[in-house]
Amino acid sequence: MSAVTVGTPTILLASTSAGSEAGQPQVVLAIVLGLLFALGTFLVLRKDVVRVVWGVTIISQAANVYLVTMGGLRGAVPIISHGGAHGEVTDPLVQALVLTAIVIGFGTTAFALVLTYRVYEEHGTIDLTEVSGR
Amino acid sequence: MSSEPRPTDGDTTVIARTITRVVVPIIMLVAIALLLQGHNLPGGGFIAGVLTVTGFALIYVIYGLRYVEQELLHRTVVPRSLPISEGAAETDVDPPIIKEFGEIFTVGLALAAASGIVAMALGFPFLSQGVWFLAGVPLYGHMEVASALAFDLGVYLVVVGGLLTILAVVGAE
Amino acid sequence: MSEHVVVAPLVVALVTAILTLGTRRYPRGQRAVSLLGIGAYAVAVLALASRVVPLGVLTGSGGTTETLTYQVSNWPAPFGISLVADALSAFMLVLAVAVVVPALVFSALYVEEFAQRVSYHSLFHFMLAGVTGAFLTGDIFNLFVWFEVMLMPSYVLVVFYGRAEHTRAALQYTVLNLLGSAVMLVAIGGIYATVGTLNMADIARRLAHAGEFGIDPAPVLGLGAILFAVFALKAGIVPFQFWVPAAYRAAPAPIAAVMAGVTKKVGIYAIIRLLFTVFGTATVGGGLAPARIAEGLGFGMAGKSFLGLFGPVLFLMAIGSILLGGLGAVSRNDLDDILAYSSIGQVGFIVLALALAATGPQAVRTAGLIAALVYSLNHAIAKSALFLISGTVYEAVGSIRFDALGGLSTRRPILASSFFLGGIALVGIPPLTGFFGKLLVFDTAGKAIVAGEPFAGVALIVALAGAVLTIAYVSRAWNRAFWGSPSDPVTRSYQPTALVAVVAAFVLLVAVLGIGFDPVYRAAEAAAHAATDRTEYVEAVAPEVIG
Repeated sequence: MSAVTVGTPTILLASTSAGSEAGQPQVVLAIVLGLLFALGTFLVLRKDVVRVVWGVTIISQAANVYLVTMGGLRGAVPIISHGGAHGEVTDPLVQALVLTAIVIGFGTTAFALVLTYRVYEEHGTIDLTEVSGR
Repeated sequence: MSSEPRPTDGDTTVIARTITRVVVPIIMLVAIALLLQGHNLPGGGFIAGVLTVTGFALIYVIYGLRYVEQELLHRTVVPRSLPISEGAAETDVDPPIIKEFGEIFTVGLALAAASGIVAMALGFPFLSQGVWFLAGVPLYGHMEVASALAFDLGVYLVVVGGLLTILAVVGAE
Repeated sequence: MSEHVVVAPLVVALVTAILTLGTRRYPRGQRAVSLLGIGAYAVAVLALASRVVPLGVLTGSGGTTETLTYQVSNWPAPFGISLVADALSAFMLVLAVAVVVPALVFSALYVEEFAQRVSYHSLFHFMLAGVTGAFLTGDIFNLFVWFEVMLMPSYVLVVFYGRAEHTRAALQYTVLNLLGSAVMLVAIGGIYATVGTLNMADIARRLAHAGEFGIDPAPVLGLGAILFAVFALKAGIVPFQFWVPAAYRAAPAPIAAVMAGVTKKVGIYAIIRLLFTVFGTATVGGGLAPARIAEGLGFGMAGKSFLGLFGPVLFLMAIGSILLGGLGAVSRNDLDDILAYSSIGQVGFIVLALALAATGPQAVRTAGLIAALVYSLNHAIAKSALFLISGTVYEAVGSIRFDALGGLSTRRPILASSFFLGGIALVGIPPLTGFFGKLLVFDTAGKAIVAGEPFAGVALIVALAGAVLTIAYVSRAWNRAFWGSPSDPVTRSYQPTALVAVVAAFVLLVAVLGIGFDPVYRAAEAAAHAATDRTEYVEAVAPEVIG
């Protein structure tokens, strides 16, 4: 691996996308991601509001997994060395991004569930086709 | 969170009650530990808050809403028909306990924002953080006080306040 | 480095949101805090705008625009989050101020007392903070975060402050935008993986010298297209327009005004920033296998610029929006419906100007961007004013359906003349801003024809058709709702004096800006140059060279 200078995201990523031995976990994750997105899409297309909310949640979680995968799963040299000694680290930026995305997803999921509850309360049903809209 | 908190007095087993009794203090302790180390180790305000609420949710599920209200908090939550924080409700007065959760939320938000603005007042960009190294603290010896802790504490309060509000409102239905 | 003037609008909006949350028990105090907060916000924005675009630039007496940057929490670019205030950001922020100030004053008088007390004001200010952040940020993931900050309050405002029969529409709006956010996250992750940075200035630089940084720009084109689709969803451009009418009808009038006036423009701003600033000089390399296959089939992409490839797409979407919005508006029987469809059509004009700008040579590009920005400003003010007027009509008469209205001009002359002014601003009658907006779009199309662009002729014809449709639906709304003999509900209506005063003052802005148009044009010109001047943008942010 040529990542000997400063461990920058670019090099990290170049190494993960180029190295064939690094490809294995990515392939597994790619399949998982495909399944998650498919499942989420399937659920979103249902007419039951609760299922739709589940579908949206699954899709946003899939997006998070995708983000982690994009950061590369191999290790590399950290950007900032803490006291000189360090081992290999994975790209910390995507983890920060995913944390942010999780918090946002958490909030929106909570809101979507309250909304579902409200739909049920107002219309007495969670079937979207029966919820009358003008 | 996903479980529906209902007054379930009577249909929980002794095992569940005993385990809850043991586990909840541990959950709270872990939550505090995560909060304190969050500025440079795994943890932080958000996850600590979620964990704290998990502890509360467990008590809700196992001991029931009535127990929490009357024994722990000495308050009542009036059953209402609509969530308050989202308006459009018929009742004009917030039940006291939800009001307090709402206040926790507000205080947390204010704390997090203030921690950013203090940095501006000191001449640094918004949200800048610093750390103080204290030497010679009794028992601990050496200690780090990170200003990020204030922000984390704010986030913690926001999460706890917000989630408990939802839990109390939806649970009261 | 630490020029707080850049971050000030953001901090003011956030602090006001928190203060209004804390003063919930004192409704009067809360309202006072909220209105003071919006005043402080306006001052903060104007202070920032006057630093970025000095008064000399506006009066034409010289002076240069500046690009201010701010590194939040003192981390250097590209590691930390940069806030960048250039002329384009400043223009959009001033546009936001022009809409939100009247909208909030209107809300304080219009929205029910209890609903206001619960959390209306803090939600409004959080939404404003999201809008401000989106205009200022120089980081593409941070843009996502601000989008969420902007959308979350808008979900609550649409769902819980709208009328009860609209829950389904609100649900659609929420689910659609949640999906949009997930897709945006995917696109951002992909761009980070390919380009290796999230800082917009850094992305622009790396794409401009793709070879040096070892980047294959072809995947970025696809990911950029996904991102573009999300922005188009926020801006409500065909084929992503279907949520617009239902959501605008569901939202209370001042929120519909802010959504049509400001949050839509956030989508437009993001498209301009992405296509013209970030992707401005990027070209597709010939390396990728699909590109080579496409080459073999006869429609090669190699060597083409991103802008050139996005141009035709923008063009088709613009034509679709203008026609669908116009035809939809002509056939509606409800004031809010007409306004919602009309805003699809009007955004079409903005996108048309952008499409011509994307494919054309430099002169056309600048002209197109100026046209798009001027049109955005006119649409923001006129359409928000019309939504507020529709809210006032609802308050006064109790309905906004045409079969219940009629003859408002005799009963409520000031309200009617406000609508008239807003309507003819949409149509584009001189000396209102709408006239200059339309004129500049036609002018751009003319310039493009001279420059020999293939679509320019079609663009001119579609724009003319759109203008005719605008005249048709505005005059129809006027005929049905305001002319004729007063209907029963109209005779029984009462006069909401304060509301009428607010909308009348607001709509006069269209005339004032139209008569004093020179500074507006110069501001738009400065913003257009800022949007296309990548070197200045990159140098101002000055991300460290890594890799």
